[in-house]
Amino acid sequence: MFLQQLVNGLTIGGIYAMIAVGYTMIYGVIQLINFAHGEIYMLGAFFAITFISFLGLPFYVAFLVAMACCAVCGVLLDIVAYRPLRQSPRLAALITAIGMSIFLQNLAMIIWGSRPKPFPHGALPAYFEKTAVTFGGVNLSWFHLFIFTITIIMMVGLNLIIKKTKWGKAMRAVAQNKTMAALTGINVNRVISYTFALAGALGGAAGIMVGAFYNAIFPTMGYVAGVKAFAAAVLGGIGSVPGAMLGGVILGVAEALGAGYLSSLYRDGISYAVMIIVIILIPAGLFGKVLKETKKSM
Amino acid sequence: MKKRQSFLFVGLLVCVALVFGMTSGAMAGKIRIGVAAPFTGNLASYGDNIKAGVNLKLKEINDAGGINGQKVQLVWGDDLCQPKDAGIVGAKFAADKSIVAVIGHLCSSATLAAMPIYVRAGLPALSPTSTNPTIGDVGKGWFFRNCYTDDFQGKYLASYVVPKLLGKKKVAIFYENNDYAIGLKDSFVAGAKSAGLTVTGAEAYMTGTTDFTPQLTKLLRDKPETIFLCGYHPEGALIAGQSRKLGFNGPLFGADGIDNEDYIKIGGKAADNTYCTVPFLAASAGPAGKDFAKQYKKAYGRDVDWMSANAYDCLGILAQVIGKVGTDRKKIRDGLAAMNWPQFGYKGVTGLTYFNEKGDCSKPAFVKKVENGKFVAAK
Repeated sequence: MFLQQLVNGLTIGGIYAMIAVGYTMIYGVIQLINFAHGEIYMLGAFFAITFISFLGLPFYVAFLVAMACCAVCGVLLDIVAYRPLRQSPRLAALITAIGMSIFLQNLAMIIWGSRPKPFPHGALPAYFEKTAVTFGGVNLSWFHLFIFTITIIMMVGLNLIIKKTKWGKAMRAVAQNKTMAALTGINVNRVISYTFALAGALGGAAGIMVGAFYNAIFPTMGYVAGVKAFAAAVLGGIGSVPGAMLGGVILGVAEALGAGYLSSLYRDGISYAVMIIVIILIPAGLFGKVLKETKKSM
Repeated sequence: MKKRQSFLFVGLLVCVALVFGMTSGAMAGKIRIGVAAPFTGNLASYGDNIKAGVNLKLKEINDAGGINGQKVQLVWGDDLCQPKDAGIVGAKFAADKSIVAVIGHLCSSATLAAMPIYVRAGLPALSPTSTNPTIGDVGKGWFFRNCYTDDFQGKYLASYVVPKLLGKKKVAIFYENNDYAIGLKDSFVAGAKSAGLTVTGAEAYMTGTTDFTPQLTKLLRDKPETIFLCGYHPEGALIAGQSRKLGFNGPLFGADGIDNEDYIKIGGKAADNTYCTVPFLAASAGPAGKDFAKQYKKAYGRDVDWMSANAYDCLGILAQVIGKVGTDRKKIRDGLAAMNWPQFGYKGVTGLTYFNEKGDCSKPAFVKKVENGKFVAAK
C-alpha cells in the first residue's frame, strides 16, 4: 500500500509541480502572485477536449495545440490585465489577478457550461490503460509513465531554457533588476510575455493531464489546483524554480500518505499543515533565498 | 449638459417604473411558487431534472385553466447545492410575499440551511428529494417531502440490496462529507450490523475532489467485495473509474444520488455494474407512472429519472392543496399537514403520498442498475 500511495502522490505531485513552476516564474519576473494561473490550467483541459471532440484531433496533437493556446492565453492575460498596472502598487495587480481568475472561471462556465465533462471516450491512446510495469504489487499504467515522463521532460527542459539560453539569461536578468536589464538592452516586456507563455504552456499541460487522468473537467477545477500549487510554490520558496518542483512533489506525496495513513477527511488539511510547518521553520521556503538585497534567484 | 442629465434621470425612472410595473402586473393574477435546486454548478443536471418535472406539471395545470382560475407561475432559485447559497435563496423567497410555497430544496445540506428561514417566515416547503432524516425536526412543521428518508434507504441497502441482490458480505464505504451522505452512511452502518455485513472500511472525500486514488487504495487494501458510493453522481462516476483503474472489478452500489444520466456519461464503461436505490422507477410504477414516463420521454427525449417524477408530484400536491385552501402560506401548511392518512393522501405518478407529523412520507424503494451504458431495472 505504501508504494501505491507513493505512486498516487507522485502522480498528483508532478502535476502540482508543473503548475507551481508557473506561479514561481511569474513571481520571479514581476513579483506578482498570478492567481489566474489556475484558470489557465483549467482552460488547457477545456481546449484539449474541445479540439478532440470538435476538430477530431488526435490526443497528442490536441495536447500540443492546447498547450500553445494556453501560452497565448498567458501572454494575453499579461497584456490585458497586468501590463497596464506595471507601475501601480503591487496590491492593485494582485486584486486584478483575483478578478481575472473569477472572470475566466465564469467565462468558461458560459462557454462550456458548469457540468463536469468527461475526457472524450476513446480519445486517449488505447495502450494508456494497459499495465506497463509491475513492482511490489503496484501496477503502473502507461498513462502513469506518460505523466511522469512529460513532467520530467518539461522540468528538465525548463531548467535548460532558464540556465542555457539567451532568453533564460534575459529572464534571470529581469528577475534581478528590471531597470538594469532594460539599460543593457533587454526588451523587458517581451521577456515578461515570454515568461507568461512558458508558465501558461506548463499550466495548460498539467490541466490536460489531470483532465485526462482523473476524467473530470469543470470550470472551477482551477481553483483548488491553483491554491495547492501556490502552496507548493511557497513551500519551495517562491521565486525558485527547483523549489517549486520539489514543493509540488512534497505536497502531492504528503496528501496521498496523509489520506492513506491518517484521516481522509483532513487530506487537504494535512498537505497545508506540511506547508505551514515548513514555512515556520524556514520562512523563505526550501530553496528561497533570504532577501537581504533585491537579489532573487530564478 | 444639465438637460441631458435630467433626461437620463427621467429615462431611468421610466425604466424602473416599467420593471416594477411588469413584475407587479405578473404578480396580480398568478399564484407564485418558488422552486429551489442547483441550476448551475457541479450538480446542475439535478436542477435540470427538477425543472423538467415541474414544467410538465405546470403546463398541465395552466392548460387546464390554472388553480381556481388563477394561473401558476414558478420562481427559480439557484442554490448550487450549497448551504450558503441556499440561505440566500431562502431569504429571497421568504421576503417575497407573493410566493406562497416552495418546492425544494434539492440537496439535504441546502434544505437544512434554508428551513430555519422558512420556519421564521412561515413559508411551507415541500422537498422532492432531500432525504436526510433530521430535516423534519429542523422544519418544525413547515417541512414536507414526498421522498423517503435515508433512515429507510440506508437500511434497505444494507438489508436487501447488498446481501440479497448483490449477494455480497464485505462492503467498503466511500462517503462525501455532507449531511446527505453522512446520514445515509450512518443508517447503512446501523443496518449492516443486523444484516450480518462486514464494513471493511469507511473513508470520506470532499465535494469537488477529482483525485480519489489515495482513499481508494486504502479501502481496497482490505479486499471489499463491493464499494458503497455514498454521495452524488459526479464524484461517484469518478470513483467508479478510478477504482477500476486500481484493479477493482466487483459491483458498486449507491443510493438515489447516483441516479443521473451524467453518472454514465462521466463514468463511461466503468459505470457498468453499479446498482442504486431510487424512490421512483418507471418500470415498476403503476399505470399513471408509466404514462408519465412516456409523456416525459416525448417532451424531453430522455428517460425519466426519479427526481423529475418527484418534482412533478410536488407541484401536483401543492396545486391540490392550494385549490382547496387558497393561497395563504399558513393555510397551505395546514392543508399539507392535514394529508396525514392514506385516505387524505395524494395519488401521483410516484404512488400515494401522505405525511407524518414530521412531514416525512413512507414510499418504497426500487433498484436500478447500469448495464452496457444504460440504466435498467435491477432484478
